[in-house]
Amino acid sequence: MAFGGLTWGNILMLLIGGGLIYLGAAKKMEPILLVPIGIGVILVNIPFAGLMIYAPAEPGVIPVPASGGLKEIAEGKIGLLNLLYHYGLGSEIIPLLIFLGIGALSDFSPAISRPSSFLFGATAQLGVFIVFLIAYLTGWFTINEAVCVGIIGGSDGPPTVYLTVAKAPQLLGPITLVAYSYMALVPILQPPVIRLLTTKKERQIYMKPQTREVSRLERIIFPIAVIVIAGLFVPACLPLVGMLMFGNLLSVTGVTDRLAASAGSVFVDVLTFLLGLTVGALMPAIVFLNPKTLMIIGLSVVAFAFGTAGGIWAVQIANLFRKEKINPLIGAAGVSAVPMAARVAQLEGQKANPRNFLLMHAMGPNMAGAIATSVVAGIFMSMV
Amino acid sequence: MIDWELVAKIAGGGFGSTLLVLVILSIVIWLIGLVMQRRARRAKDESK
Repeated sequence: MAFGGLTWGNILMLLIGGGLIYLGAAKKMEPILLVPIGIGVILVNIPFAGLMIYAPAEPGVIPVPASGGLKEIAEGKIGLLNLLYHYGLGSEIIPLLIFLGIGALSDFSPAISRPSSFLFGATAQLGVFIVFLIAYLTGWFTINEAVCVGIIGGSDGPPTVYLTVAKAPQLLGPITLVAYSYMALVPILQPPVIRLLTTKKERQIYMKPQTREVSRLERIIFPIAVIVIAGLFVPACLPLVGMLMFGNLLSVTGVTDRLAASAGSVFVDVLTFLLGLTVGALMPAIVFLNPKTLMIIGLSVVAFAFGTAGGIWAVQIANLFRKEKINPLIGAAGVSAVPMAARVAQLEGQKANPRNFLLMHAMGPNMAGAIATSVVAGIFMSMV
Repeated sequence: MIDWELVAKIAGGGFGSTLLVLVILSIVIWLIGLVMQRRARRAKDESK
């Protein structure tokens, strides 16, 4: 019987795990991730099950999972989920391969047809750097932890997981949970910031439907160009950018359709539920229930707000010099979170001007934001 | 102790580097698009 070992913290975490499953299953908020995370939370908060064993830590230090292999499993020193964590997340294999699958599913044509999208994707990273500053200057977080809290503002899962595993694995559970939860909450978080920073007149700006068709050759050159340029300037971003672009190349060549279809379906699905389960298993009460988690939740809202603002401000500045104005809503989509942020731009645009169809315009900064967040993760990897 | 130099390097330098890389990327993509559009136009003209 495990009742004797059950703490109030465990009971709270069991409720949180149930809540995550409810949000995923009933409310359809990021169900592919929240359901496995929820079950992972429940699995590790039942005492004595031994699915994920933590290494002893000094008082006040957040413990990390014990490492080992099959021998240690047989000896009962680690559990099955330790093994998944060690080989899947600790080695960085899972987030990188998920990015390959995402690349295969992504269409960068809107960004290719409007290259200024990359600028808006870059400025939307403002939230990452502002929150890094706040997190570090509060003294609550080390510099390694602060960059991981900041990257949540990029609203992109794999770069967040990739950076956190490398720099602050003890915060992987709360950071991943908060990042994915907020991505699901983009339709609620962004509109107030958008309305605060733009006038109705700006939101009404009409944009002609895009007409330029992107050729197959351009779509093939694009991933190669991104790999070469991003790799030469920020080599540390290449594991992320390289996987994303490799996946994309598979889908645009037109001759590797089977590979692209595999990468974008069962392959990425298996990796995603393994990621979710392992991340959930990183949230026993002793790890999750500490003041840093609350700080991460609060700072992430700031990161999303400044990310949205960065994209909007860039469009507003660009409009000062342009004859044909751009609707600032498409800048807000620079905070990655594909495709939710683009959908928010579309919905807010239509509310202000029913003639407006901003979705494809917004997809450009949205996709560029994914590349920008990977570049930021690479910069943090090399600087910290 | 706050390492101000490192903070400035990461926040200022990091954001600046991100902007630089993405601006260069946008210029290269724009140039590639320009060349491709010209090529397509020329091919269309020749076929007429």
